[in-house]
Amino acid sequence: MLTAGSHVISISDFSRADLIAVLDRAAAMERNPGRPLDGRLMATLFFEPSTRTRLSFEAAMLKLGGRVIGFSDAASSSAKKGESLSDTIRMVERYADVIVMRHPRDGAARLAAQVSRVPVINGGDGANQHPTQTFLDLYTIAQEFPELRSGDRELVVAFAGDLRYGRTVHSLLHALCHFRVRVLLVAPRGLEMPADHLDHARAAGLQVEVLPDLQTAAERADVLYMTRLQEERFPDPLEFDHIKATYRISAATLAKAQPRLRILHPLPRVHEIATDVDATVHASYFTQAANGIPVRQAVLATVLGA
Amino acid sequence: MSDIPTASHGRNRMVEAIANGTVIDHIPAAVTLKVAALVSGPDDQVFIGQNLRSARLGRKGVVKVSGRLLTGRDLQTLALIAPGASICIIRNYEIAEKRPVGVPDLFEAIARCANPNCVTNHERWPTLFDVTHRDPLLVRCRYCERTVPAADLALLPR
Repeated sequence: MLTAGSHVISISDFSRADLIAVLDRAAAMERNPGRPLDGRLMATLFFEPSTRTRLSFEAAMLKLGGRVIGFSDAASSSAKKGESLSDTIRMVERYADVIVMRHPRDGAARLAAQVSRVPVINGGDGANQHPTQTFLDLYTIAQEFPELRSGDRELVVAFAGDLRYGRTVHSLLHALCHFRVRVLLVAPRGLEMPADHLDHARAAGLQVEVLPDLQTAAERADVLYMTRLQEERFPDPLEFDHIKATYRISAATLAKAQPRLRILHPLPRVHEIATDVDATVHASYFTQAANGIPVRQAVLATVLGA
Repeated sequence: MSDIPTASHGRNRMVEAIANGTVIDHIPAAVTLKVAALVSGPDDQVFIGQNLRSARLGRKGVVKVSGRLLTGRDLQTLALIAPGASICIIRNYEIAEKRPVGVPDLFEAIARCANPNCVTNHERWPTLFDVTHRDPLLVRCRYCERTVPAADLALLPR
């Protein structure tokens, strides 16, 4: 549950009611944010580079009247001198009212939360979790499709691309288990959704279908969640070139899509969405990125008790 | 008749009786020596019966540790590698107490996480595993959130 003083570490810590409360608070922030964090200080500890997450957290804090300190890569932190993560956190918790952290190791945020007396917000820990990205993904889907919350109609959400390593798809899949959703999965061989996530989703009652091609998924889906294919996952460059051409959405390939289809992407996109999609009614990825502000304002204000 | 020895032949025991201490019985034969090594200290007197006949397991192992009771850490270790074993507390050559090893809800600081990128493999920090499934035994790292078979965990040295 998200309350004053709580840490935000993993989507698995949040119930349906918790998620709805975050969406409600984000909507309120979008209407009238005010300056409830005047005089409060946020520390951003980015042991790994980030553009959207760090900038949107900082923008969210500044817009609410707060201030920001921090570093944006491990080379400029004392971790480079060999300081342990727990010591870094014990120092920073004495400087700031809230800590936002990105770290390359899985589980680093949970460890930080065990040490810190001020709220720790996970801005991504290795391949594990990135809960505020999931909040803003859900917020974007709920904005476009009120039936996510009402449950009046089964929503069809397709995930495409790298479903094996992408932490955003794993977290969103877990969050969708709380809603009336059918999930379609399309992935190249070797990058399929890991079995433990699939088992969890099916055990939670989610309808999951594995589809052979992106075209079918785009024609059936309400939401198409695209992810970036990383070249380093493919040992054979020729195979990567082939897959890259197959996992690509353009205005032409969306000709048979339902008008209500919305495309999401955690960004950055590279080859997987052609720029001619940007001008179509389907493109929601820049709105999704913009939603990072009200969603992170909601999280910051709530954990700081404002 | 099978040539596999049983744990006792009338008055002639295959494994030395102990006056006081702990007997771990019904250990899967393949992990008997591992159990003996993990639950005993360098000064402990230990008796090992290996490949004994068992109606339940086919072949089993028995480990007797003389003069002491198992610690909480020993019990967690046993629960990880031989959860179906049983424990007898021996006082004056008699069984004072007998119970199954059982599986706790949580394993604390006894094994390394199987995920090489887990923060616990890079910081000096105790591991925590929640039991998510008992048969087969599956555990979930409290930090990196990976679920793995308990058999895949590497035990930390005593």
